[in-house]
Amino acid sequence: MELSFLDIIKNVFSLSLGYATIRICISIVFAAMGEMITERSGVLNLGTEGIMLMGAFSGAVGAHFTGSPWIGLLIAGVVGMLIGLIFAFVAITVKSDQAIAGLAVYLLGVGLSGYLLQIFFKHGGNTPRVETLPIIHFKFLENIPVMNALFNDQSVLMIPALLLPVILYIVFYRTPWGTWLRAAGENPKALAVVGKNPIVIRYVAVLAGSLLAGIGGAYLSISQTSLFSERMVNGRGFIALSAVIFGNVKPGGVFAAAMFFSFMDALQYVLQTVIPDQYFPREVFMALPYIITLLILAGFIKQSKGPADITNPYEKESR
Amino acid sequence: MDKTRKFLLKRQAVFTSILAVILAFLVVGVLLLFSGRNPVEAFGYFIRGAFGDLFNFSNTMSRVVPLLIAAIAFIIGAKSSVFNVGIEGQLLLGALASAVVGWAFKLPKAIHLPLTLLAGTLAGGLYALIPAWLKVYRKVNEILSTIMLNYPAFFFNHYVVLNVTPLEGVIPATPFIQETAKFSTLIAGTRLHAGVIVAGLVVVFAYFLLQKTSLGYEMRAVGLNREAARFHGIPVEKRMMFSFFLSGCLAGLAGAVEMAGVHYRYLDQFSPGYGYDSITVAMVGLLNPFGAIFSATLFGALKTGILDMAVYTEIPRQLVTLINGIVVLFISAKSVIQDKFRQIVTGKKQISLQEEIE
Repeated sequence: MELSFLDIIKNVFSLSLGYATIRICISIVFAAMGEMITERSGVLNLGTEGIMLMGAFSGAVGAHFTGSPWIGLLIAGVVGMLIGLIFAFVAITVKSDQAIAGLAVYLLGVGLSGYLLQIFFKHGGNTPRVETLPIIHFKFLENIPVMNALFNDQSVLMIPALLLPVILYIVFYRTPWGTWLRAAGENPKALAVVGKNPIVIRYVAVLAGSLLAGIGGAYLSISQTSLFSERMVNGRGFIALSAVIFGNVKPGGVFAAAMFFSFMDALQYVLQTVIPDQYFPREVFMALPYIITLLILAGFIKQSKGPADITNPYEKESR
Repeated sequence: MDKTRKFLLKRQAVFTSILAVILAFLVVGVLLLFSGRNPVEAFGYFIRGAFGDLFNFSNTMSRVVPLLIAAIAFIIGAKSSVFNVGIEGQLLLGALASAVVGWAFKLPKAIHLPLTLLAGTLAGGLYALIPAWLKVYRKVNEILSTIMLNYPAFFFNHYVVLNVTPLEGVIPATPFIQETAKFSTLIAGTRLHAGVIVAGLVVVFAYFLLQKTSLGYEMRAVGLNREAARFHGIPVEKRMMFSFFLSGCLAGLAGAVEMAGVHYRYLDQFSPGYGYDSITVAMVGLLNPFGAIFSATLFGALKTGILDMAVYTEIPRQLVTLINGIVVLFISAKSVIQDKFRQIVTGKKQISLQEEIE
């Protein structure tokens, strides 16, 4: 089949590309929003990928053994927080190097999810198929052409994913919790002076972030697909981390960055199907999201300003 | 203070590292128990699989070689505070480059083998220059960039194997390399090859570079305190670029040695995560080239032992990655272990600076 250039463009930039972008972004938005909360408190958690893997695994296992994807989602959140608790202890209480602690959590997530997968399901690299979370359909959207194609018949988790940036914006800038959170990341000593414990706030932030990362991972196994396979998160955790940097650790910016990276991923999938392999190697498309993410980090990082006290452990008395 | 106490305190870093590994293995034992497996039985199979007979032992040693070289790669970077987590990708590219050079040329062995190793070394080093530039001049966190760059490396190799080099048979792999590009086998009938010597040379090279040359001194100074190093006129950016490049070179060499000594062709999934394991090996070895020999032996044994164990028991091979994660977690929390260790050794809650110096 001969394709003209115009045909290819038409086939690529269709509404289904937009639908795929939304579908892909849900997992990344959850993880990126979680990491944003964590980083705002002054803690860098490089282990997001590992927590997402554990979330994806425990979500599928929960759904398999209880028959309910909702219970799976709940278990994924709890497991995410448990892994987050380990990280928080090492990073905040023990005050070890956060980058290395994050690396440990990444390896732990890869290893534990792979190990338990074999323990629970003996053969093969994946779980059996499980029930998935419901797909939602809005009647009122049917008459709005573009909106209908983009937002209808997506996973139920799309709603919290799209609301999260708004909610977090309000929490960050309109509530005392947001002020304490940001103070923990900017100037924890000043926060301690007004009687708030930066350590408690950092713990809460890490746990909240891990909860969201766990849910973001579970979305992959009990909604976007219907099973867990080894290493299925496939670098999305690191893309979420990049989105936090690119988005300047601010709700709107991080959301926009997550959407952009998701768009690149969707584009790569569509290009793979539209352009035949003999014209262009599919491996190039598969590598594209990582390369573009890095190019963007290279171009934008200089303007990016994270919290002042990030990765510095909080010491009670100054020496 | 008596002699044993003094000795224990002087070597506290070593004992802390050993303690961290022991604690990690205890946790792994408990995990095995909880998942209904017998840790004692597992340990027996593991020892037998790793050291049981000459063949198994040579198998372990042939795994120690890439682990050790890759660990030195991590150490060279980490000494100038460059955390090269992209060793896996650099190792894969190095392996492919040397597999291609080893196959495509017909040369006398004295030229062909070194050329094959050099190709892999340079491929790894050049790939590491990307995250190096990103870190030094664009301030992109290298853990993030190197992990992400592992993906394109894999896809690139996958493409080359399927579309560029001729396929022999059904397995996606490059053709076998020429006899002139292979390491000699050291003990007939085993997998022990001359790459062991290369690994030994790499350890000695790293020690001399870091401890005995002014370049190595400057690299370590950059790692200890970047601003102070800059103040003393050390070109910080250049030194970081260099140690990242050298780290990538050694990662590529680790891949090349695997081609010339074990696989003789590039197979899509020949590396069982050597690049990731090397980080654990380097940390357990206290970022010391000689320390890495011990930890590489431990983790090489772990790899063969567990793969052997997975055949005879119902314990999955994924246990290796899990152990890595737990060990790194304990190593990263070692300040607590070290404090406890000192308290137990001295029998005191607080240790004065004076005693510490003694």
